[in-house]
Amino acid sequence: MISQFFVLSQRGDNIVFRDYRGEVPKGSAEIFFRKVKFWKEDGQEEAPPVFNVDGVNYFHVKVVGLLFVATTRANVSPSLVLELLQRIARVIKDYVGVLNEDSIRKNFVLVYELLDEVIDFGFVQTTSTELLKSYIFNEPIILDSARLSSIGPTGLFMQGTKRMPGTAVTKSVVASEPGGRKREEIFVDIIEKISVTFSSSGYILTSEIDGTIQMKSYLTGNPEIRLALNEDLSIGRGGGSAYDYRSSFGSGAVILDDCNFHESVRLDNFEVDKTLTLVPPDGEFPVMNYRMTQEFKPPFRINALIEEAGALKAEVILKIFAEFPSNITSNTIAVQMPLPKYTIRASFELEPGAVGQTTDFKEANKRLEWGLKKIVGGSEHTLRARLTFSPEAHGNITKESGPVSMTFTIPMYNSSRLQVKYLQIAKKSGTYNPYRWVRYVTLANSYVARI
Amino acid sequence: MSGHDSKYFSTTKKGEIPELKEELNSQYKDKRKDAVKKVIAAMTVGKDVSSLFTDVVNCMQTENLELKKLVYLYLINYAKSQPDLAILAVNTFVKDSQDPNPLIRALAVRTMGCIRVDKITEYLCDPLQRCLKDDDPYVRKTAAICVAKLYDINAELVEDRGFLESLKDLISDNNPMVVANAVAALAEIQENSNRPIFEITSHTLSKLLTALNECTEWGQVFILDALSKYKAADAREAENIVERVTPRLQHANCAVVLSAVKMILQQMELITSTDVVRNLCKKMAPPLVTLLSAEPEIQYVALRNINLIVQRRPTILAHEIKVFFCKYNDPIYVKMEKLEIMIKLASDRNIDQVLLEFKEYATEVDVDFVRKAVRAIGRCAIKLERAAERCITVLLELIKIKVNYVVQEAIIVIKDIFRRYPNTYESIIATLCESLDTLDEPEPRIDNADELLESFLESFPEEPAHVQLQLLTATVKLFLKKPTEGPQQMIQVVLNNATVETDNPDLRDRAYIYWRLLSTDPEAAKDVVLAEKPVISDDSNLLDPSLLDELLANIATLSSVYHKPPEAFVTRVKTTTQKTEDEDYGSETGNSESPAHIADSAASPPTSSGAPYAAARQAAPAPASPAHAAAAPVPDLLGDLIGLENSAIVPVDQPASPAGPPLPVVLPASTGQGLQISAQLTRREGQIFYSLLFENNTQSPLDGFMIQFNKNTFGLAAAGPLQVPQVQPGTSAGTLLPMVTFQNMSQGPPSSLLQVAVKNSQQPVWYFNDKISLHVFFTEDGRMERANFLETWRSLPDSNEITRDFPGIVVSNVEATLDRLAASNMFFIAKRKHANQDVFYFSVKIPRGIPFLIELTTVVNNPGVKIAIKTPSPETAPLFFEAVETLLKD
Repeated sequence: MISQFFVLSQRGDNIVFRDYRGEVPKGSAEIFFRKVKFWKEDGQEEAPPVFNVDGVNYFHVKVVGLLFVATTRANVSPSLVLELLQRIARVIKDYVGVLNEDSIRKNFVLVYELLDEVIDFGFVQTTSTELLKSYIFNEPIILDSARLSSIGPTGLFMQGTKRMPGTAVTKSVVASEPGGRKREEIFVDIIEKISVTFSSSGYILTSEIDGTIQMKSYLTGNPEIRLALNEDLSIGRGGGSAYDYRSSFGSGAVILDDCNFHESVRLDNFEVDKTLTLVPPDGEFPVMNYRMTQEFKPPFRINALIEEAGALKAEVILKIFAEFPSNITSNTIAVQMPLPKYTIRASFELEPGAVGQTTDFKEANKRLEWGLKKIVGGSEHTLRARLTFSPEAHGNITKESGPVSMTFTIPMYNSSRLQVKYLQIAKKSGTYNPYRWVRYVTLANSYVARI
Repeated sequence: MSGHDSKYFSTTKKGEIPELKEELNSQYKDKRKDAVKKVIAAMTVGKDVSSLFTDVVNCMQTENLELKKLVYLYLINYAKSQPDLAILAVNTFVKDSQDPNPLIRALAVRTMGCIRVDKITEYLCDPLQRCLKDDDPYVRKTAAICVAKLYDINAELVEDRGFLESLKDLISDNNPMVVANAVAALAEIQENSNRPIFEITSHTLSKLLTALNECTEWGQVFILDALSKYKAADAREAENIVERVTPRLQHANCAVVLSAVKMILQQMELITSTDVVRNLCKKMAPPLVTLLSAEPEIQYVALRNINLIVQRRPTILAHEIKVFFCKYNDPIYVKMEKLEIMIKLASDRNIDQVLLEFKEYATEVDVDFVRKAVRAIGRCAIKLERAAERCITVLLELIKIKVNYVVQEAIIVIKDIFRRYPNTYESIIATLCESLDTLDEPEPRIDNADELLESFLESFPEEPAHVQLQLLTATVKLFLKKPTEGPQQMIQVVLNNATVETDNPDLRDRAYIYWRLLSTDPEAAKDVVLAEKPVISDDSNLLDPSLLDELLANIATLSSVYHKPPEAFVTRVKTTTQKTEDEDYGSETGNSESPAHIADSAASPPTSSGAPYAAARQAAPAPASPAHAAAAPVPDLLGDLIGLENSAIVPVDQPASPAGPPLPVVLPASTGQGLQISAQLTRREGQIFYSLLFENNTQSPLDGFMIQFNKNTFGLAAAGPLQVPQVQPGTSAGTLLPMVTFQNMSQGPPSSLLQVAVKNSQQPVWYFNDKISLHVFFTEDGRMERANFLETWRSLPDSNEITRDFPGIVVSNVEATLDRLAASNMFFIAKRKHANQDVFYFSVKIPRGIPFLIELTTVVNNPGVKIAIKTPSPETAPLFFEAVETLLKD
């Protein structure tokens, strides 16, 4: 059981503070913030999410730049508290539409009301937006949509693509639309975070997909829903090592290492026809989380080279190959590469006709940065950089630079080939035909090429 | 919708409080609601709006739930400071608890329980009784938690009114939410009680396992955690339990998964079939790995737990080492934990892959991480003999990159490898020495390179302290092995340097010891200085098996994250004592609680700190006293060691004086330059305190008091900063410092020595020795049932029985003696007559569940007491006898 819950801004201001037990001194928020800020003297190292100061245990998670913190004196389950902090953030977001300092401050009465239902005397009661609806009476105050900033992976769908309604994902689950009627719609997002490590010779050393099927329902009356996944889906690699690849690229079944489901999901037919049945509660929630180490085709290949080019000079050549279909476009790509410490200058040369690309040499941490607005499937991009070194002694330039890391998002693409074949909503009447959005997105988690 | 709440934060120029008062009494409902919101807004930003208490409470009688909730929120906050006014609200509470609307009934009970005012508590009982039997599950589940609230305020009342029974009935409730809350409340009450209240029988077990499937995710965690205390009768029952719990591993909530893992691990200990165990290990692996796909915060907790699990059952994740490879964007705290686990899972089969990773990490940017990666290579070399050579090759490659801290770390690591495999890899010393000269920081110039010693000595005065220490030792060693002219000259230079020209007390102390050793008995010096170093073995940071057992039993709790037993950091003080601390705190924060102080007193568990005492010593102004005679007598040497002037030696066993009401003096005013400190450990309400009295006999006020404890057998350390106000000349100040145990434990045989350092802003640091009397550790739950006592007595071997006579002690008043002993948690069990003697039996328990069974034989009113004890921990017997002697003499 927890003693206190509070939310701090990046500057350490108290936005929300609720004491459930009165057994931890009042100054805890300040002690916490100071401790986190100066974890190591240089301020470089991040504080672990759980620590103890003078007999008080502090838990924290960072959500969109805010610190969600709980304290306790007891020997509680830390995963419970950390998970709870994440859920509180999600519940608040469900209610106020978008989570930030402003929206919390504007809705503080509602937030306190929520906190009293979510936690009683430090014990978690419920974090289900659906259940909470019966006990919450304050109406949310929605921020101007013009000032909304997108949050989380689903926020990505707002970028440019016309197929998707922009404001939907930041819409409050409980507030009624200005017109008085709620639009009947449901969102199913398949979000995959991929991690790949390429060896210096371009082989894949490790690869992994962490996926989530996330749902957000705005359907009235909570109808039952059936989600059908790939028929050839199988779970568990049986015995043996994690890296016995049994299938090759592009063919064969989708094999997940492991998966888990939201408590509302019924798996009666899962073994037979790979369908999930559920009555979706209100609010955003993960229907299913999955993990896959089966070999898959990485969306990008990276080729990096660094060579001496005369005294105190070297040349870096970075090449990126987009290995996904040409009707798919990846956006907000960023490539980074640490350079040797004694690098003092870097000049860049982009390929002729390059648009929407930026280059930079970060003097402070000796890092090369290359940004690309978008990359169309099947294309190839190159960056050349000439480095100048300081005259002081230096060692092996290959060993001291790299690895190259990359971040990107690819909408409407997923690497695992896991699919939602159909999304069926139990009909209430012949005319009932709510909007259904099934969306895919692939994000880079740790996408690294060693040199 | 009522517009933006933030408008409530705006202030008007006119007096805010009178304006609010007016609005609160408005005849319009909306206006009143708005006003209450404004009041709450002011309250949350820390303004004092308690003067509006009556006006706000007047708004309480409303059907509007939104408004009612706001008023209740206000009440919880201010009832403590306005207990008399809070009584005004009682009627409405009682009325609300009978409202037809279940939400209002629940709200009333929930809020009343949060108001910690004695007068209200009395009125709470009847409504609570009703609500525990309410028709609506929402009311019942709220009432269940309310019992825990009430128990915290007034445990006796809860027991007298039979609430515990009602709570136990709720375990069979048909609503899973109610069951979960009842379980959570009972588990907490049990934790704070010494009596068995919530014991899980096989009957409750099966009921709870059934409820498990229908509970919310959080309820599942409550139930799993409560059930994990259940000991299955046999392998078959254990298998049954595991079978029911295994589906929880598939849950999306990490807390459920970890609690299920804990439960399965516990039952596995009983399962004998290797097939079943292997199968379970196979089932647990994927969910454990999946935890690493969660948010980094959860990953951290999972990794700390996995670290423990693989120490007990390395096979579970033996094939999954790749998932512990660091990701580029992992936070540093995750990377560090992954490294630890990689070392633990490293085997001859995967070592090449692992070394490749470590090598890569050793070229990353973060210095701490790089150092740890280099150390990891060394630890693999020590762990896997067949891979040692490959590890050394990698280390030499890294040395060639010539990055300063990489070379430093690599050399330190290689030193250990030399010691682990003597006469195997010495051929690489030459390569090492080459690299040494390229360093611009001299840290790793360790005693490997004896031949280079002389050249290093030239720069001796400029070297950092620990290099000086190493050089000093190295020179002495050289001299003892080769007592020729060259080394003799060298040693004179070094000793002279280290005693006269240094201002580092550590160096000076060590130099003096060597000097005296060498001048009195060179042979003895040889024995000491050239003693075999202990063999380096693969520790892989392995935990002591008994600690590991305890930690594994605490999987999915904070204990498993800190890798410390719960009693080392759980400091739940009864709320009553906390309140005063609470208030003191506010006034305290301003002055002495500087950020530096917080940082340094915060020896927080994850940062494995053994440094508090060292920190205090460094803070001591080093007394530069070059005048020490080389052949000074032994006590002087001790004085040096503790870092005092030789005129101010603290007698080593000073505070053996009787422990009457005035606290024993531990630092006499003559020693403390006018400051006298009296102190003693005491136990109050289950918590150990260090009771201190400071008497200022100096001419000026003293303030800024701080305290540190050296490592000791029980790992006693301060639970918080020392809170002593400024002490004016001629006055004194006392304080109770809460203590924690098992914080920084010393090795070696149990000792009652407690070394304390106290400092203030005006004087040097004072060191004194105190004596730990074991009886402060006697826990409140030490009472044993008669049958249990007999069984335990029989189960312990006779070699664990120790007897001692106390000829001088007389027991005159049996009743009073028993009472006094019981007050110190030495519990009377039985008494029998044997000839003219009385034989008494007692039980005592000290932390970590170590029992003492005592047989006391005496003739009442005649001098002479004989005590025989049996305990699994006989090495603590001397301490125990000392403690009992003190108790009996009282």
